[in-house]
Amino acid sequence: MAEPAKNNSVAELEKKQEWWWAAEKKRSKRLDYLRKGMWKKGAIGGLYPAGLQVDLEQAVLQTQKARELETSPDPFVVKQAKIFADYLDSKTIFITDHAQLVSYVGSLPNTINWNPTMATILNAEVINDPTVIPEPLDESLKVINEVIAYWSGKTDADRIMSQTDMADIMKILSGTIGWGIPLARGGYSGKDYEYIMSGKRAFEDVLAEIDKNLDEADASAHEPTANQEIIKLYEKMNNWEAYKIALEACIRHGQRYARLARIIAENYETDNKRKEELLQIADCCERVPAKTPRTLQESLQYDLFIQLFSRTEAVEGAWPARPDYYHGPYYEKDVNIDKRITKEEALDLAGEFLIRAAEVSQYKVKWVREGLQGIEGTWVWTLGGVNQHGDDACNGMTTALLQAARLVRVSNPTFGFRWHPKVKEEVLRECFECIRQGLGYPSMRNDPLLIANSMYWHGHPIEEARTWVHQACMSPCPTTKKGFQPMRMANATANCAKIIEYVFTSGFDPVVNMQIGAETPDAATFTDFEQVYDVWVIQMKTIFSILTRMINAARAYAPGLTPRPFLSAISERSVESGLDVMTPSLSRGNSWITAFTWVENADSLAAIKKLVFEEKKYTMAQLKKAITDDWQGHEEMRLDFVKNAPKWGNDDDYVDNIMLRCLRDCAIFGHELKDPMGNNWPILPENVSGNIHYANVVGALPSGRRRGDALYDGGISPGPGLDKKGPTAVLKSCGKIDHISDGRAFLLNQRLSPTQMAGEKGYSLWKAYMDTWYNLGLDHIQFNCVSDETLRSAQREPEKYQEVIVRVAGYSAHFVDISRKTQDNIIQRTVQGIG
Amino acid sequence: MPLCKECKKFFPIKEDPNKGDCVQRVVDPRQAYYKAKPVGADMDASSCSSFEKK
Repeated sequence: MAEPAKNNSVAELEKKQEWWWAAEKKRSKRLDYLRKGMWKKGAIGGLYPAGLQVDLEQAVLQTQKARELETSPDPFVVKQAKIFADYLDSKTIFITDHAQLVSYVGSLPNTINWNPTMATILNAEVINDPTVIPEPLDESLKVINEVIAYWSGKTDADRIMSQTDMADIMKILSGTIGWGIPLARGGYSGKDYEYIMSGKRAFEDVLAEIDKNLDEADASAHEPTANQEIIKLYEKMNNWEAYKIALEACIRHGQRYARLARIIAENYETDNKRKEELLQIADCCERVPAKTPRTLQESLQYDLFIQLFSRTEAVEGAWPARPDYYHGPYYEKDVNIDKRITKEEALDLAGEFLIRAAEVSQYKVKWVREGLQGIEGTWVWTLGGVNQHGDDACNGMTTALLQAARLVRVSNPTFGFRWHPKVKEEVLRECFECIRQGLGYPSMRNDPLLIANSMYWHGHPIEEARTWVHQACMSPCPTTKKGFQPMRMANATANCAKIIEYVFTSGFDPVVNMQIGAETPDAATFTDFEQVYDVWVIQMKTIFSILTRMINAARAYAPGLTPRPFLSAISERSVESGLDVMTPSLSRGNSWITAFTWVENADSLAAIKKLVFEEKKYTMAQLKKAITDDWQGHEEMRLDFVKNAPKWGNDDDYVDNIMLRCLRDCAIFGHELKDPMGNNWPILPENVSGNIHYANVVGALPSGRRRGDALYDGGISPGPGLDKKGPTAVLKSCGKIDHISDGRAFLLNQRLSPTQMAGEKGYSLWKAYMDTWYNLGLDHIQFNCVSDETLRSAQREPEKYQEVIVRVAGYSAHFVDISRKTQDNIIQRTVQGIG
Repeated sequence: MPLCKECKKFFPIKEDPNKGDCVQRVVDPRQAYYKAKPVGADMDASSCSSFEKK
């Protein structure tokens, strides 16, 4: 992957597996310019890369407008819409040379958007982050201080938290058991794509629907018999008015880009071909988002606008999307029916679409940046799968996106591919090529199984379940009127290693000196394994309850306290009802608890059962002492717990049955816990890079882990290097889990040897492995396919390996953008020889 | 006092000439682009470092 000889051919570079340099030679000049011009936004070790600046424009404009509206009699939701509209009307926009697609969440390409209305704790981080504050520093600090002072006590978090239990808030904000805060405008925001992206309507059509509803409501409110119902009607009319303000501003914003493109074409550009492209951009932005797209370029631009408008209203840490499904018909029309553009031109658009998404950045608190090292958010785009009738949904756009990914090699967005028996061989080969070329994506998802899982856990009807997209890294969510989840609030993310840790501390957290878990009896007094396990269940329920009840409260309060006029305006249920998109009664519910650092529980419980209660080599008092001492002075004993206790991932029923027992108790509790929609809270084991973020937060564990050691890389992946019986044993362990009823989804990381994956034989081996994976009923798998040699070289000479990508957990990142500890953790993962 | 409307970079809106866009060329360390910011025709441009008289 180091600098190649200039005259190396693409074939030579590919043979040497120098994929980045090969891609550079293969892609168009346009894509090459745009890819190299891209500002990487993912934080490195929690800090933003050099050259980036926090964008003060939105913060200043929103503060000015909010001040101006303070004395206005407008309802709160209308004020929110006016602040949103004013920003879109006033912000700086830009068009990059060679670009065919436009729009960005901030004002300039190297800026990180800052929305000051979300949370005081986020605003406080901005002022304490001198690496991104723009020059002149004094002037910027003055502006930031004014903004922070204005929003203090007025942000969403301030207003939601004042309505909830202070003890719960303290436990969550301690950073030990959860990850995130419960906000309707901060998290993973689903979309009603079936309403707004299926080509049936665009913003002008929605405005017409709203006008009709407003007229009818107005008439009803003025009926001579109108009585108490007018109060509800007024509320709806206020909401519809807010939706209109938001949508009209979006249309004007599109027209601003059209105008800029024409100004450049008519006054600055001298190249005739580029002039034509600029006029094409102008036509495109005059068309969308006002009217439905007619071409692939318009369809992609429409999608980008929707994503950017939504990120103007909220801070979105994920990007639920199904771009091949919704843009595929336009690809087919442009490339195959009308032949308006060639496949290569479509590939350029697909590649640029990926780059535009890769550039998006919104300022996030440090714990989020540390948990998502190297990327901006978990933007896992969904490809493949079936349509609502159950037929294969793959199309030309599926292939174009997979090919474009190999040309532009961005680490975010990534893809999750919905694998099912009807997928054509040629599409599977495209997926394999991406994996073989070291992108770390697509992750492979078992489509029939996950459709069944959606029906089982949340009661989505089959036609709706079949529309599913990744709401974040892993969890399926429909894109339908009642099925889509407007916001998955991130703090139902449990640091599950704390469950087993609290068994030994009686729920007291020694890291933050707080009683966080349940006050259970002293573990030193336990005389049999069932006592240990019963307390484990109590601690699990305590942690899950704290996290979910905060979200339940925030969701219930959201329509009144933190409404989302734009997201409501593109959602059928809100346009129809006049109620905010977060209103629980309008949706079916699709909640889940993300289970970080999960497998440590099974390995720890198995070690206790075997070494303490069966072999009686140690007492619980001795084990508690060793753990309290962080294994210091107990090294021999620690190694016994590491080496001589059964470990998950080796097809060993002893520990695998403990894993199943834990999962099934969580599943029972997941049915008892209810969200505000009355639906279930299943768990979903996965990790992002929480295994590193939490390394110093989780104390010593009976698995033999010391405080500070990296936790396992997540989901149901075995501990690094602890899966000693080969890849099939890993699959067999994981296959014992019922991937429908035991939880919502289960992440599995695997490493493959690039040498073994070479050529046709590599594809055959991988395909056979995937058939086993499918037949054993696993719902997810993702691969790293980069050699130890390359990764170690990249550690030694990072400047030469800037473009090596690895799969972390649920997302990919450039290897040089993740911490040394995470790098080491990835290298330690077992390279599976298959076949 | 120089006004935005007297600048080369000011492009008035046909329907409302009192408003317009300030359009500037930017070449940053990675990419080149044109940016536009809404301005008023009669805005004071005396402290604008980008002002260029028509």
